[in-house]
Amino acid sequence: MSHHKLEAKDLHYSYPDDHEAVKGMSFCIHHGESVGIIGANGAGKSTLLMLLMGVLFPSQGEVCVGDVHVTKKTLPMIRQRLGMVFQDPDDQLFMSTVYDDVAFGPRNYKLDEKEVETRVLHALELVGILHLKDRAPFKLSGGEKRAAAIASVLSMHPDVLVMDEPTAALDPKSRRRVMKLLTSFKHTKIITSHDLDMIYEMCDRTIVIKNGEIAADGVTSEILVNAQLMDECGLEVPLAMQNCPVCGSAKE
Amino acid sequence: MANIMNSLYNMRLLDDLARQETIIHKLHPLMKLLTTVSFLTVVVSFGRYEISGLLPLFVYPVMVFSLAELPLKPILLRILLVSPFIIGIGILNPFFDQQIYRLGGMEISRGWLTFLSILIKSGLTVTAALLLIASTGMDRLAGALRMLKIPRIFVLQLLLTYRYISVLMEEVARTLRAYSLRAPNQKGVHRSAWGSLAGQLILRTFDRAQRIYEAMCLRGFTGEYETGGFKEIRVWDIAYWAGWMLFFVAARLYNIPMVIGSLITGVIR
Repeated sequence: MSHHKLEAKDLHYSYPDDHEAVKGMSFCIHHGESVGIIGANGAGKSTLLMLLMGVLFPSQGEVCVGDVHVTKKTLPMIRQRLGMVFQDPDDQLFMSTVYDDVAFGPRNYKLDEKEVETRVLHALELVGILHLKDRAPFKLSGGEKRAAAIASVLSMHPDVLVMDEPTAALDPKSRRRVMKLLTSFKHTKIITSHDLDMIYEMCDRTIVIKNGEIAADGVTSEILVNAQLMDECGLEVPLAMQNCPVCGSAKE
Repeated sequence: MANIMNSLYNMRLLDDLARQETIIHKLHPLMKLLTTVSFLTVVVSFGRYEISGLLPLFVYPVMVFSLAELPLKPILLRILLVSPFIIGIGILNPFFDQQIYRLGGMEISRGWLTFLSILIKSGLTVTAALLLIASTGMDRLAGALRMLKIPRIFVLQLLLTYRYISVLMEEVARTLRAYSLRAPNQKGVHRSAWGSLAGQLILRTFDRAQRIYEAMCLRGFTGEYETGGFKEIRVWDIAYWAGWMLFFVAARLYNIPMVIGSLITGVIR
């Protein structure tokens, strides 16, 4: 399945104010992997996602999706294969009904309206909000909005799901629901988050970013328990792995 | 601040109203658009002293209001919103145009007549536009404009402006809320903070707009706004437009109140 791999080769990116946000990142994500990207605020996570999605172009290095380089020419094809869920669902839901929002992507790819309908209904059913299809997005709750935003990406049948803080600002039950939903997808997943417990549960692999560079890349269960590494990168060991806050006894 | 949040909610009310399923809502958007444009053309074609000729045209908004089951109050409130501008435009007429005009037994200046005609015309045109949006929805309206081969850049501009107004207003409401919570004894915003507040607002709105645009691009947006096509135009849609056209033309050619009046007086004699 080489056509499903996502590869970053020696990526560099500087903002117009000369701030170098990404300094030589390289990694390869294979088909079906769930990868967590973590790092302190300002470490370069969002910039990296923008580079992967082709919103920004690297000043040096390249991104390859399968065997295709991400360039202006290949963007329409790349964006059909990579679906991104934004941190704030309000940025992603701009149409007047949930249905139209989920149909926005497929319609842009000039699909037949019958096929658009099939895709939209299927995507809404997958995320469990079929009954909200005629509602206005701004009237949904936080969890429902998140589900709608995920559906709007799923309707494009992407190979890779890229998610920026998918559980941010959700109540515990909605967070659990979104996590269950994401776990049920067989797509390749790239998730950035500060919710390290969620990363610990959902991702087999974790990439830690510090000051625009990769500080560690490996198995989640080994990286997230490395207290020294976490501390150096402005992070903490997930709460579920920390000692008992009452008696201080260590996890077994 | 509460006012801003209210008007934000109210603005979206038109979108909500557009989702109803009445006889008017089910009409083809293109025919509704054409009917509205015809109505506007007829209304503005009347001369500035022809008030009685304008009166029969009130039938159109009244019919649409009742058939589309639209609430009267919120739409009338929106019409009132533009009234200060209209009054601003017409209020000087009574001073400049002081010629005497006889209306029945009364003598009034022609300026008042033109002022009244401006008020009626603006009321009718604004109502017709609002009724069109409230019974069609902006998305479908944009689709109808594209069917008329209006360049996509204009249609897109219209749609994005409509979308971004709510984005801007949300940002304003949030900023003002943050301001008022830290300035509890002030009424409004102190002038020393105006500049930075407006600057912040514009930067935030740029950021937000940028993110929305990115979200659109990531889902294959290339400049064309796809609304998913329309159902075919039915005979009933054409009949709706043709019926109103007949009425508008009749109202333009004949002074209907005068005709009815002379008929009645003829019968009495």
